[in-house]
Amino acid sequence: MHDQRDPIESIARELRRPVQVSVSLDDRIMGEVRQLPHYGRLKLWLRLTTPRTITITPLRVGLAAAALAMFAILGAAHVGNDIWRVATPIATAMFPSIKKPAPNQRVQFVLVAPDAKKVSVVGDFNGWDVAHAGYQAQHRGGGVWSVTAPVPVGHHRYSFVVDDSVWVADPTAPRVIDNDYGMPNSAIVVSEQQK
Amino acid sequence: MEGSSDAVIVARVLRGDVEGFRILVERYHDRYARYAFHMLGNREDAEEALQDAFTRAYRSLGRCEDPERFGAWLFRILVNRCRTLGARRGRRAQTFVVDETAILEAAEEHPADRNAWREEIDRALQQLRTEQREAFLLKYVDDMGYDEMSQLTGVGVSALKMRVMRACERLRELLSEVQSA
Repeated sequence: MHDQRDPIESIARELRRPVQVSVSLDDRIMGEVRQLPHYGRLKLWLRLTTPRTITITPLRVGLAAAALAMFAILGAAHVGNDIWRVATPIATAMFPSIKKPAPNQRVQFVLVAPDAKKVSVVGDFNGWDVAHAGYQAQHRGGGVWSVTAPVPVGHHRYSFVVDDSVWVADPTAPRVIDNDYGMPNSAIVVSEQQK
Repeated sequence: MEGSSDAVIVARVLRGDVEGFRILVERYHDRYARYAFHMLGNREDAEEALQDAFTRAYRSLGRCEDPERFGAWLFRILVNRCRTLGARRGRRAQTFVVDETAILEAAEEHPADRNAWREEIDRALQQLRTEQREAFLLKYVDDMGYDEMSQLTGVGVSALKMRVMRACERLRELLSEVQSA
């Protein structure tokens, strides 16, 4: 019925025949692939998250100082005289002993994302809703995006979402890992305002 | 784009054309399904390994050093996935179950006793040690040379030759009675 001599060639010939897989396999693979961040957007993600060596020179220090000054001016112009509205969430988290925002205080979220076309803030305080109208950051120039939005008193997790697809943790805030989705999240503590 | 080289398609995917990845899936799933099926012994595990290998390849596409040889790179990922799945399967109480559908499909247009022969081959193959089965399939079914197998598996050529030899001996032993029936 088959090769009566050495069976190895007969076995190999049999095993070389095509194996049928489910017709839906390609669609299942592509469905999973589409859920992953697209590469055009991954470049931004990689730029934001890849560690780089920075050489400190007097010129760079000067430029950095100027950028910080501009950032402070932009923030102050946006929120008026209340310096707490300029403070990023990390300030609240790192310095709980100093004057804190009022309950349900509005908090300013700031992200530097020069290549972004859209930046949203998602967190447990807005149901992780990337389309929530009150948490869409505005481009303030120079790649600086910010939004001032209400956050209830308490501990919260949040993240920025760039171009509706790439999650970016706040680089200035403590990092937490969301066990449900494995996305990088940041921590914020909003306390009641001290009298 | 269907006729483009792997490198061209990989470049397009890396520029954000995620749908271009489907061409790579269609290009390689048949050949690699065969390997996964023979390594793991059933269609369900084979498809899991394939799906896993393709999605891992997509995630790591930027690290594919030679996109022109995407297929070989993907195959290396698949071989590793099959090892992992095979090890996991080995930890479960496993009874070898012949994939009847695959056998029926494979039996079309062939003599009536082909089913039994094919079933015996599948059964014998699954009785080989994993590393012997892997070496045998790469050598005799995927028609690789020992140097290529060594690069793919990270195992030395001498060890691979020994594995293939042992696999052949065992297959001859297991199938000799069936063959002479």
